[in-house]
Amino acid sequence: MMNLKISALEFVEEVKNGNISVEEFIGKTLERINSIDDKLHAFLSINEDAIDQAKNLDKKIKSGENVGACFGMPISIKDNMCIKNTKTTCASKMLENFIAPYDATVISKLKKQDAIFIGKVNMDEFAMGLSTEFSAFGPSKNPWNTEYVPGGSSGGSAVSVSSFECVASLGSDTGGSVRNPASFCSTVGYKPTYGLISRYGLISYANSIEQIGPLTRTVKDAAFMLNLIAGIDPNDNTTVNNNNEDYLSNIDSGIEGKKIGIITEMIGDGIDPEVLTATKEAISKLEGLGAICEEVSLEMVKYSVAAYYTITATEAGSNLARYDNLRYGYDFSVEGYEFNSYISKARKNFGPEVIRRMIIGGFVPSAGHAGKYFLKAMKVKSKLTKEINEAFKKFDLLIAPTVPVQPFKIGEKINDPVSLFLIDINTVTANLTGKPAISIPFKIVNGLPIGIQLVANSMNDKLLLQAAHALEQTVSLPEVPI
Amino acid sequence: MTKIGLEIHCQLTNLKSKLFCSCKANYREFEPNQNICPICAGMPGSLPRLNQEAVKKATMIAMALNCSTPEKIAFFRKNYFYPDLPKNFQITQLNIYGDTSVGGSGSISVGDKKIRITRIQLEEDPGRLIYEGSSSKNQITLVDYNRAGTPLVEIVTEPDFETPKEVRDFLNILSDLLKNLGVADPSLEGAMRADANVSIHGGNKVEIKNIGSFHDLEKASHFEITRQESLHDRDIPIVQETRHWDDKRKITVSSRSKEEDLDYRYFLEGDIPWVKINSKIQSELKLQMPESINSKKERYVTKYNIPIQVADVLSSDKFYSDLFEEAHTESNAKEVANIITTELMGLVDTREKRETSKLTAIHLKELADAIQTGTVSRNSSKNALHEILKTGKNVSQVISELDLGNVSDESELVGIIQEVIDAEPQAVEQTKSNPQTINYLVGKVMQKTKGKADPTLTLDLLKKQLT
Amino acid sequence: MVTTEEIEHVSKLMKIDVDDHNEYLEKVQTMINYFDILDSAGVESEEISMPEIPIEELRKDEYIPFGEKLIEKMNHYKGTYVHAPKMS
Repeated sequence: MMNLKISALEFVEEVKNGNISVEEFIGKTLERINSIDDKLHAFLSINEDAIDQAKNLDKKIKSGENVGACFGMPISIKDNMCIKNTKTTCASKMLENFIAPYDATVISKLKKQDAIFIGKVNMDEFAMGLSTEFSAFGPSKNPWNTEYVPGGSSGGSAVSVSSFECVASLGSDTGGSVRNPASFCSTVGYKPTYGLISRYGLISYANSIEQIGPLTRTVKDAAFMLNLIAGIDPNDNTTVNNNNEDYLSNIDSGIEGKKIGIITEMIGDGIDPEVLTATKEAISKLEGLGAICEEVSLEMVKYSVAAYYTITATEAGSNLARYDNLRYGYDFSVEGYEFNSYISKARKNFGPEVIRRMIIGGFVPSAGHAGKYFLKAMKVKSKLTKEINEAFKKFDLLIAPTVPVQPFKIGEKINDPVSLFLIDINTVTANLTGKPAISIPFKIVNGLPIGIQLVANSMNDKLLLQAAHALEQTVSLPEVPI
Repeated sequence: MTKIGLEIHCQLTNLKSKLFCSCKANYREFEPNQNICPICAGMPGSLPRLNQEAVKKATMIAMALNCSTPEKIAFFRKNYFYPDLPKNFQITQLNIYGDTSVGGSGSISVGDKKIRITRIQLEEDPGRLIYEGSSSKNQITLVDYNRAGTPLVEIVTEPDFETPKEVRDFLNILSDLLKNLGVADPSLEGAMRADANVSIHGGNKVEIKNIGSFHDLEKASHFEITRQESLHDRDIPIVQETRHWDDKRKITVSSRSKEEDLDYRYFLEGDIPWVKINSKIQSELKLQMPESINSKKERYVTKYNIPIQVADVLSSDKFYSDLFEEAHTESNAKEVANIITTELMGLVDTREKRETSKLTAIHLKELADAIQTGTVSRNSSKNALHEILKTGKNVSQVISELDLGNVSDESELVGIIQEVIDAEPQAVEQTKSNPQTINYLVGKVMQKTKGKADPTLTLDLLKKQLT
Repeated sequence: MVTTEEIEHVSKLMKIDVDDHNEYLEKVQTMINYFDILDSAGVESEEISMPEIPIEELRKDEYIPFGEKLIEKMNHYKGTYVHAPKMS
């Protein structure tokens, strides 16, 4: 069990040095999953061929063949990314039987680097949620205390990484869905600049703002993953050219002299006192490393949650329209049905949260209401972007707690939609403005994790990782109790 | 006063691939669902990849229709559910945030009338539905996505048409223009479709959809005008509605009312950034555009002295005007134009045009030269053309093999003329009182020489020999 | 303010057969009412911004077949069609 607690970079070293075989590690990983996943429910499906793939890789390594950078590392994948010929359900009954006919770009890239996809992990249905409680296949549990939510929507990703069921994971972040569960489970969660990572093969929820992002044990691991999956992709017209930037090199160059803005609106009302304390401690630590920290106000943050939910509901309503069960989905024959009645009945298989969002998504951009809701939300997005760009003229980075509260109990907030919305208030800004943001595990209070968030300007992902690494090095956290 | 406006959808069939993926743009050769990929089949996780050439061609169409073409264009989603729509939304263009479709505010002349073009937009075609089963009870709907994603240019006009004939003329001009630009082949089945909106006396607009061909469009407009006039005469109000053209009964029928008003919830397509087409690129596109029909026509008239009607016919047809461009020289241009319009066009029907590979520009050039030098008469050249189309043999070979060469040898002609004079004593007598009769004698000489006598020379010699 | 009728209308538009519109009414109403906060954002004069791409970077026009029989991986019927319910 000991050797499962290593980082991705340590794993690669160990395999390269011959200290561990891939087969052994994968075997131990599967054992670990078998023994604890009943309690955690991170996984929706396991890769039956993992051991065979590991064996093949060991052969390649022994014979001195070129092996990809991952060296057989077990990586879990949020179940909204297509892996060819495997089930991809988005934790929804609507896609219960959907087998992806192609690989997502991030998957092809990792396959080339000899990663082993150990399994698909749980999420809120179609990525709509903050706690993984809206999965159609049951919630995931926080490994720090299984009565608590692991965050969402990439809950399964965070759980699998923090409980050593895999070395790293890929999740997706639309309004905080990578950073939030990372914060709740005490892992690193990274959302890159919009356009840095191809969304081809990511099943769309809100395509104008979401990004795939790694969840890892260390910041260096996140940089390692970014190196493998970032870059312009002809299959995704929204990707940008990062000139093959190396995010890992000079990651420990520190943050001496860097100016960090503390976002006033994200440490105000509604914040947990413990979270506020942790944030102040993080700021001190950063100052101790030579950074200059000062408050900065982003007025539009107040409206960001409303804007976020308006825009994402609209996009989701459209992105999910294709699920009419005619070409793919679940077993339900069209025999005897008329078009409208079939489609409406088939789509009843969406979970209640998804249905709520789609009703909102049909309402807010509709002819009579678009001006009041959708167009205003788009304008808030524009103004927020202007504000944050102004802030970055003065500051190199921005800081705030990832989530204003610590993890809450399963079932506690599920019936209070607005209170649930507001969990997102610190994270949606980075999505709406396209800026890169990261959550670093910082503290454990009362047995539950608190994460700190750093934000950088567009395309400054390298700087962001350097700052995150610097902060990460100042803390030493207890082990997860499972 | 009648007002008719049109919405024409034209497939860019000359492109190699679809608008958002690399499947084939012209889907007609495929068995059902053999020309699809995750993108055009609307698979989860797929993303649109905009076709660069489609944007360029659409911009050229806009320029050819005298539209303004913005430097940034955007795409929108039109959301509705239908089985032929793989994503249950169509990616199209709109102008709700300023001018963001490929072209707007243009015009085109139809006769001496100017028809205003409201806008040109680029969008994707849906798939096709096939209905099987005889009764509505056992009807099965089958979906074929081969056509889904085919690039379409939608051309919307202001309601400037006043008669169905104007509509017909416009459509012919538009067809020729599009063929001339090399962007589409309107003759392909389903490549060009149009909807019309009709109103009379400033009343409500009625939209007519499901019109299968241009011929039907003229009929449908005519029917609808009549229908509205008769309602108007009886003081019955005309309802603003959508009707569809029933091809069997040749009438427009009110479309079954939808359960709810369609609300398309238009918003920007987040998977396609705004496309920048800066002025430098736009100038390059303008230069790349083939010469317009009007410009060709003018050039034919002013430079080569080709009669207006001939120039008109020649310039509107891309295949023949291309042939002309290759075949003509300064001196024989008029003759080549003549051969094409009076002889060639009559011998070759539209479908075969592409099969006239045996005929080359060189043939035409040499034939024209032969006529001009008097080697062969116009009459004989028709026979020569026939032979060339069949065999592809070169002009001189054909002339000698079929013995089509003009009889311009004076002594030979004098002999033949004498034979005719000897054979037609009555006619010869008549020429004294009625000089026109000489043409009959010329005709007889032509008969004898199988049309190869030079008519002018024959007339001269005949006149001489009669005196 | 959102009414049950509006929710009914929208769910028809979105083609979701909601059994009990009232069940959704409360939560949806709460959520939409929260969005009223947008009215005080003072953003009327803002322009909508979007990412841009120069035309030269768009996909070249080439026919590249998908290379696999995609229809076999979808729900198919009568060989190579997709079976839709009958249209009214």
